[in-house]
Formats: sequence, structure tokens, C-alpha cells
Amino acid sequence: MNLVQPVTSEIDDAPDEAWVKELTDPGPPGHAAQRHLHAVLLRATRHQVWRLRHQLPGAGSAELEDLAHQAADDALMAVLGKLDTFEGRSRFTTWVYKFGILHAGVAVRRQAWRHREVPLIDTFDPPDPGSAPEAYAQAGDLQRAVESAIAVDLTPHQRRVTLALLVDQVPIDVLAERLNTNRNALYKTLHDARQRLRASLRASGHLEEPTRGSTP
Amino acid sequence: MTTPRRRIPAPAVEALLLDTSPYLSCDECFERLDTYVEATLADPAHQDVAMRVHLEACGACAEEAATLADLLGPDG
Repeated sequence: MNLVQPVTSEIDDAPDEAWVKELTDPGPPGHAAQRHLHAVLLRATRHQVWRLRHQLPGAGSAELEDLAHQAADDALMAVLGKLDTFEGRSRFTTWVYKFGILHAGVAVRRQAWRHREVPLIDTFDPPDPGSAPEAYAQAGDLQRAVESAIAVDLTPHQRRVTLALLVDQVPIDVLAERLNTNRNALYKTLHDARQRLRASLRASGHLEEPTRGSTP
Repeated sequence: MTTPRRRIPAPAVEALLLDTSPYLSCDECFERLDTYVEATLADPAHQDVAMRVHLEACGACAEEAATLADLLGPDG
């Protein structure tokens, strides 16, 4: 397998300013610089695909390698399109790596969910004591308060996004694609929903101290 | 839409109540990711509260930060 092979030290050691300048050259130096750039991106995409390969249990080496190449191709276009925003605050290779990692991660997550249904539920009905006494008794007071706040205090869109991301564990890139939006907008919706839930639980006396966790 | 009554799993409660202030968007996190990871690798005590909060709250961005740190680390 070719995944996670290091690129040559010549690429990593190239002076940033000279490399960036050559990337805009329309002639042979520019083509060579872009080949070097693609090699660096491929190193990052292979690394990320390899780290996330558990999300694609049926994929063989060829499919993983193909994903890494596709992601590197997409990342190359992204880097070239944003080249004028590189300010030299990090090494150029570090700046380039993050584009490869982003595109590879999105590619793996979308591939993993390609045939899976994404639950989009904008209503929420927690069990009530009368209809499900055992389930109600097993849940803690905080858990019941959170369920009530989800049902009462969130908008339908906030419920749909929050339940998909934090309860049904839908990756944020996958949900963004299905809802025809982007990661930024979904994270803002989630942030606002969390603020509402926290305010609701503070008002009901269920929350005092900050709590930490993570989205998929 | 009619849905069956359901419980929120206990582990999800913590994630739902996460305090994600100060707010930092995923785009802003991406813009700062390279400098943040380099600074953190150079000095593990490096502090950027907004980045730390965002990476605790956003699994996709956190995964990207971990991969970048892995690539830049001694075994990368």
C-alpha cells in the first residue's frame, strides 16, 4: 500500500517564499512547483484517509488510495485559489497540509454515509411518566430536563440539527450536504441551540457549572 | 412529522450542554489551525481559549487538528 509514505525532504525544505512565487509562474517552473504542491497535499490526504479508514470498513487499498488522490486534486485547486491569502504566519507546508486534511476528511465521511439514511427529525417527544413509567424512572433529573428543553425551547431547525449531530451522530459535513448548507452554518445553529438549552436549565435550577463534550 | 417518543442518551446530555463560548466559527478555526497547531507543538502550554473551546465542541475540526499535529510531529 502506498498510503502514508513520506514525500522527499527536498519538498519540505523548499523556501516558502520562492515556492509560493513559483506557483504563480505560468511556465515550466510553475508546473514543477504545482507538482511539488500536489505531492505535499497527497501526503496529507493519505495520512488523513489512513487515520479515518475505520469509517470505511469495506474499502480496500485501491479505494483508499483513490480517495486520497481525489482529495489531493480538490485540495490543490483550493490552495491555488487561496494562495494570495497565505501570510507566512506558519510554514507553507503546514498551511498546505490543512487543506489536504480538510478535503480528505470530508471525502471519507461522505463516502462512509453515502448509502446511509440521515435522520432529520424536527419534533421531539420524550417519554411521559404515564405512558412509559419504567423508562421515565430510569432517566435522571438532568436528562429529563434536557429532554423537556429540547422539546420546548429549541426551534424546529435547531432540533433537527442538534438531534442529528449530537444524538444520531451524523457527521457535520454529511449533514451540511444533505441540508444544502455548510459546516459553518450548522455549527452556529448548534452553538445557539446549546445556549438556549443551557439558559433553560439554568432557569430551572438544573445547571450551574460549565460542561464540556464534543460533536461528531 | 410524527416521531416515536424517545430518550436522549445520557452521554449526549453532556455534549448538548457544552458551553461553546467564546464563539468561533469553523471557518475561523480553519484559518487559525496551522498557526495554532505549530504553536501548540512548540509550546504545549500555548493558550488560545477560543480555539480550545471550538476544538472541544466540534469533532470534525478537532479531528483535523489532531491529524495536522500528527503530520507535524516526530512520527509524521
